[in-house]
Amino acid sequence: METLFLSLTVLLAAGILPLLGHRLFTLMKACYVALTITGCVIGLYSLCPISQLPSQSTLVVDWLHIFQLQFSLDSLSTFFLIPVFFVCPLAVLYVFHYMNKKAEHARTGVNFFFFNLLIIAMALVVIADNMISFALSWEIMSLASFFLVLHEYEQETTRRAGYIYLLFTQLGALCIFLGMGVGYGYTQSLDFAPLSTLPEGLKLWMFCLVLVGFGSKAGVFPIHIWLPYAHPAAPSNISAIMSGVMIKMGIYGVVRFYGLLDISSPVAGQIVLSFGIVSGVLGVIYALGKQDIKKLLAYSSVENIGVILIGLGVGMIGATQGNTGMAIFGFVGGLLHVLNHSLFKSLLFLGAGTVAKQTGTRQLDQLGGLIKRMPLTGKSFLIGSVSISGLPPFNGFVSEFLIYIGAFQGLVLGGMHCVFAMLAILALALIGGLAAACFTRIVGIVFLGEPRADNSAAAKEAGWTMTFPMVILAASCLIIGVWPEPFVHYAFKGVETLLVQTTLDEVLLLEITQKMALASQVFLGLFVVLLVARKFLYRGKQVQSGPTWGCGFTQPTVRIQYTGTSYAMSIVEFFRPMVRLHTHYAGIKRIFPSQASYETHVDDIAEQTLIERIVEPLLFLLGKLRWIQHGHIQLYIGYIIITILVALLCISEGPREILRGLL
Amino acid sequence: MISFLSLVLALLAAPLYPGIILKVKAFFAGKKGPPLLIKYYTLLKLLQKGSVYSTSSSFVFTLGPVVSFAAAIFPLCFFPFAGSASLVSFYGDVVLLFYIMGIGRFFTVVAALDTASPFEGMGAAREVFFSTLAELAIFAILILFYRLTGSLSLNDYFHGENIITLAGVSGALIVLVIVALFMVLLTENSRVPVDDPATHLELTMIHEVMILDHSGPDLALIELGAFYKLFFYAAFIIQLIFPFTAPFSILNMLLFFILMALVYVAVGVIESIMARFKMDLVPKFILTSFALVFFAVILTMGVLQ
Repeated sequence: METLFLSLTVLLAAGILPLLGHRLFTLMKACYVALTITGCVIGLYSLCPISQLPSQSTLVVDWLHIFQLQFSLDSLSTFFLIPVFFVCPLAVLYVFHYMNKKAEHARTGVNFFFFNLLIIAMALVVIADNMISFALSWEIMSLASFFLVLHEYEQETTRRAGYIYLLFTQLGALCIFLGMGVGYGYTQSLDFAPLSTLPEGLKLWMFCLVLVGFGSKAGVFPIHIWLPYAHPAAPSNISAIMSGVMIKMGIYGVVRFYGLLDISSPVAGQIVLSFGIVSGVLGVIYALGKQDIKKLLAYSSVENIGVILIGLGVGMIGATQGNTGMAIFGFVGGLLHVLNHSLFKSLLFLGAGTVAKQTGTRQLDQLGGLIKRMPLTGKSFLIGSVSISGLPPFNGFVSEFLIYIGAFQGLVLGGMHCVFAMLAILALALIGGLAAACFTRIVGIVFLGEPRADNSAAAKEAGWTMTFPMVILAASCLIIGVWPEPFVHYAFKGVETLLVQTTLDEVLLLEITQKMALASQVFLGLFVVLLVARKFLYRGKQVQSGPTWGCGFTQPTVRIQYTGTSYAMSIVEFFRPMVRLHTHYAGIKRIFPSQASYETHVDDIAEQTLIERIVEPLLFLLGKLRWIQHGHIQLYIGYIIITILVALLCISEGPREILRGLL
Repeated sequence: MISFLSLVLALLAAPLYPGIILKVKAFFAGKKGPPLLIKYYTLLKLLQKGSVYSTSSSFVFTLGPVVSFAAAIFPLCFFPFAGSASLVSFYGDVVLLFYIMGIGRFFTVVAALDTASPFEGMGAAREVFFSTLAELAIFAILILFYRLTGSLSLNDYFHGENIITLAGVSGALIVLVIVALFMVLLTENSRVPVDDPATHLELTMIHEVMILDHSGPDLALIELGAFYKLFFYAAFIIQLIFPFTAPFSILNMLLFFILMALVYVAVGVIESIMARFKMDLVPKFILTSFALVFFAVILTMGVLQ
């Protein structure tokens, strides 16, 4: 625990440094990067012994004389701290070449400060052990990330994105605090521990409230609307951390409060599972419909949050039904997917940032052929794409596989539980296929083929501090895919703290993981053998190169390539009732046609509904009350006095006494 | 030993069977048709040639054939041919196998997109769409099998005491599965009515158009991989139709390889008497297979009682 706080202190120091020394730009950046990495390494080191020992350490600090801040570290927190301390330093290293505009030194310094504040706040959220410390860290985290989104504040779209993010994060916080209020109202204590004594009905209410709150942070459909705005607006290292690590804090909240509340009704699990299925399927369909790479990745985060929730939902149903196999596999799969997603999603966002920086555009249909111009970025992005599609032998498959096993074990249950397990399996299968479609699209259109515009033809590989983190992340995707046992073990330790009252047996889990890993290793081996065999087959053969076969067409241009839009169109159309597809076609009409144009965009149904059904009626209603705002300061003061008087009269006896005394 | 032998036999015999399809089609057309061993000759010819690579393509293009071949050969190691125990198996291997096939498809698709050809992009887009739907049907089958056997491994499905077969207690459900699986076989192996490998218009093809630019040994790997994939699905269907419970494993094996021809004849007959569907009918075709299995699953559940 002390080591952990040492690391947080180092991180804070590293964050304050750029505020003071931003004029010496390069030196400041170097010092900042070095210090932050040191801090994170200390943080990782502090986690080492606890991953093996189930011991728990607690720290209590008094704050403002009234409140106590309480932090404790158990294996669930440890598991969530791994992505924080592993992915953040890589994103920080990436910054060195990524933010290289010397003219913006002050702004960069501020950005660095808030970045470190975000890392510290995330670590604190995970180890917070009572409501007040949780709320405090949660708000620091939300505000720090809000300022990070606003990095390029002079653009209107960025400001808009920032406000949408702030709105959602604060509404989410409102729900969380409301949920905590329910708990506090009953237990009269700010501690987490007594929450398990709540009556069952109240528990469910509290869980639903915090689920909505945490869901808005995690990006659960339909309250994911901020993600596709905030991620493209923020710089790429920020979106990598926000999407890779920060939204997982929402998942942490759900998991932690589930464990604290100790709900025995399966409804909680069914709700989580349903949210998971909806987010997973719709997230990936919207990802297929998007043109902006970072928007696409944002929707893909919604999808992966869905996969995580499916795992957790399966685990929750299993836990309440006494099906320990289902509980273990579901929870472990879900938690492992948290770690996996933090690796490949940050990798993909960093890759997207590199592409955007080197080509100047994020539009899919302007890019192409980048793997030859940016080989390291391209290869790591390819690995990230295979991993996120959940294909073996990479890490995404391991977690999805465990969730599958958990859901299959749920099929022996009767009635509704069996239907939910079945839906989980079918949803995972659908998500898997669609994710592969989505990521073959992004890899194929952005990195393969021929460049579709001049700026991507002229692109060059980025500096080493930008490619090196991506290579590391890609390597870790493969490592978890091929040697998943220790990671599965860590996740299992986390689940053990979650479900304290049931005895869980790790043997079956490790056995199946081991065999699956062995099969993945064999597959990898087979692949290498075949690569060698292919070399052998080509020995002494004539290998030529020529243009692509144009099927008889002799004048091909790069513009006849399949585009991202056309690639995804048939799939998006198939899911039409759930996706709004708008097409504008000014076509060829006369013998000598004028300029033809074709434009298509996919609207988010949740966002449209929110605007049409809630925001617009609300604006109309509130517009009627506009006369209250008239600009006369005397009357405003009158409002204040009346409000205070009414408030005083309404609340308890004490002020009423004072009031009587005054009169 | 017998498992290993049957695997080797399967690997050797897989290119023979597509020859049967050609023979059947020739019979319907009133022609003599190519020799039965035509596919072996083709493979030999391809292996002796060099290759031409497109100037647009990168290393991803060469990865396509290798990964798709590895992904096609790998599932056969898990298959219990003719009721003998499979070479390797573990709880959950079916999930792994269908995902391994997924990675094969992933790399076929990106290799197609690497050529910058509009036709190959078109084929790739169709392939990912249709295979997604087919995956749904396959996992519905796995759900049904789990309800029937409580297992998640090919070996447990077809080897041992509690095997899934048409002759078993739940034979009526298996009829639905066999029909659905045959439809998935046609889809996943790009046969008529989903795809037509013999058409002369690249616009209408799916799988064949994705491999237009591959040549020489690369193309041989792809072709051989396609034979293995077809063999896997055909073997799956045969195992469902006929329980190989005879005590003599050699006899079983012989019977297995003879019965396998049936599936290929069926494919050949379908290809001779049907035309390819319009592209927008294909999703409905695949979803029909899903609906069939889903119906079978509902029958096992008793939720509606």
